Amino acid sequence: MNDATLAGAQARYALKGFLREPRAFVFTVVMPLFLLVILNGIFHGSSSLFRLRVPFAVYYTPAIISYQVMLAGYSSLLIAVTTERERGMLKRLRGTPMPSWVFLAGEILRTIVVVAVTVVVLVAVGVGVYHVRIEVHTVTGLAVYTVIGTACMCALGLATTRVCATTDAAAAAGPFISLILGFISGVFIPAPVMPTWLLDAGKLFPLEHLARGLQQAFGVRGSTGITAIDLAALAAWGAAGLTVCLLTFRWEPHDNW
Amino acid sequence: MSDCAIDVRRLHKSYGGVERLHGISFSVDCGEVFGFLGTNGAGKTTTIEILEGYRARDSGEVSVLGTDPARAGRDWRNRIGLVLQESELNPVYTVRETVAMFSRYFRRPTDVDATITSVGLAEKAGERVGRLSGGERRRVDVAIGLVGDPEVLFLDEPTTGLDPAARRGMWALIEGLRSAGKTVFLTTHYMEEAQRLADRIVILRAGAIAASGTAEQLSRALGHATRITFLAPSHVGPAQVAAVVGASVEQDGQWLGFRSNQAQRDLTALLRWAQEDGFELVGIRVSPPTLDDVFVELASGDPSGGDPSGGDPSGDPSGGDPSGGAP
Repeated sequence: MNDATLAGAQARYALKGFLREPRAFVFTVVMPLFLLVILNGIFHGSSSLFRLRVPFAVYYTPAIISYQVMLAGYSSLLIAVTTERERGMLKRLRGTPMPSWVFLAGEILRTIVVVAVTVVVLVAVGVGVYHVRIEVHTVTGLAVYTVIGTACMCALGLATTRVCATTDAAAAAGPFISLILGFISGVFIPAPVMPTWLLDAGKLFPLEHLARGLQQAFGVRGSTGITAIDLAALAAWGAAGLTVCLLTFRWEPHDNW
Repeated sequence: MSDCAIDVRRLHKSYGGVERLHGISFSVDCGEVFGFLGTNGAGKTTTIEILEGYRARDSGEVSVLGTDPARAGRDWRNRIGLVLQESELNPVYTVRETVAMFSRYFRRPTDVDATITSVGLAEKAGERVGRLSGGERRRVDVAIGLVGDPEVLFLDEPTTGLDPAARRGMWALIEGLRSAGKTVFLTTHYMEEAQRLADRIVILRAGAIAASGTAEQLSRALGHATRITFLAPSHVGPAQVAAVVGASVEQDGQWLGFRSNQAQRDLTALLRWAQEDGFELVGIRVSPPTLDDVFVELASGDPSGGDPSGGDPSGDPSGGDPSGGAP
């Protein structure tokens, strides 16, 4: 079995484990779906209240997709890998002939599959229930941002495992950071009613760029939403995360650092 | 050195400025079950983790299968198997899924179901790991250690925390490995375990080798003797027994006991005396010397001396040979 096949097998194995883990499944797949339904249920028809030029669902569907990418790519991966490290599972893997990258690639591939499936479900609900319109430019932007956004978030999630000594720390940091960024990136509160300074703060972080890019793809006729600045921001954060990960990733429980 | 599975010379390791291993030396032959004994904190795990390639050493020479673990790569990892002391298994996978995934990491894995059967889990192969008992999980650990068909298997305290039945099951499993010709490096703090399983034993104390040899050699060299205990009638005191057997007699409630280097002679004298005086000794127990006795003595001894072969910090490799004489 060559290493690429092995990485594929590792990803399938990780995916199987993920699907049997109710907590991870609820927080990364079920919760975004609930957010979409609840937010649309509360604010349906009140887009003028938020000074939006598009129907509420057209704003919130891509916003929740970006948030889901962050939950699955960043928060869930951070918690999963920190837990496996704390339990000595990574140490055991490190003692086998398996190359390190195979494990990391398996985790990232598994995350991309989870994100892809969830995005399809979210879009289907948006289109089927809330009359969001999908065109070629939307799908293009969605595909590009989902892939690049997930890669970026995975790299940052893996990088953050270095500063989370324990599962408890990761389980607090992942969702908390996601929530804070959600509020300052125009995910929960629409950008037009946000104070400028807060939006500017949000622009420093990757979620804002992911959310805005996706919102353009959904809300602006004929636009893929792909802009150099948003892609560059995601790529820069992803590259930074990957560098930190490659330089500092630990395989042993925190006691042994 | 080529027929040495493991060879360690003058191994030193410090943590935070404190030296934990004071230049220990030992070697393990191919096909041998090697018992590495010590209390918690003696340096067992530090040593095994250096051998496994997890820790860097400060100085000394280490060779496992002819390779320095600190520089070993994938080929070397294909030839060793690890059963770590603290490494959990993901509870959501079945036994077969877990062992099968690990088998994919190795170049020449053994058959997954055969490996599961060999550790006695054939009937649990489809069960999720989370539903297994502690002893069964430890067997999965061993299956993972074996599935790459390793030449050397490291077992770091495989029975710690197991109940007595599970421990005996693990012993049978390790005895099976010996029959199969595997080289096994076993750490434990159970004397009984090393005594039963290991061809040769090294006792580590405070980062130095306190004694080494076969279990029998260790017991004998340290001057330990057969222990004889019995319940005597109330009018018989330790002093009278001592006069008969010529040894110091300890009393523990109604129980009397002494150690003998000539068990047959002393026992005969004791029984004849009881017979002639017309009283009965109840619950007579004759126990051969155990490694436990050796170990308690070594562990409680003054590290600067009084042990048979060398808390010698220079770690002379020949220092493993017990020279005899109780401290």
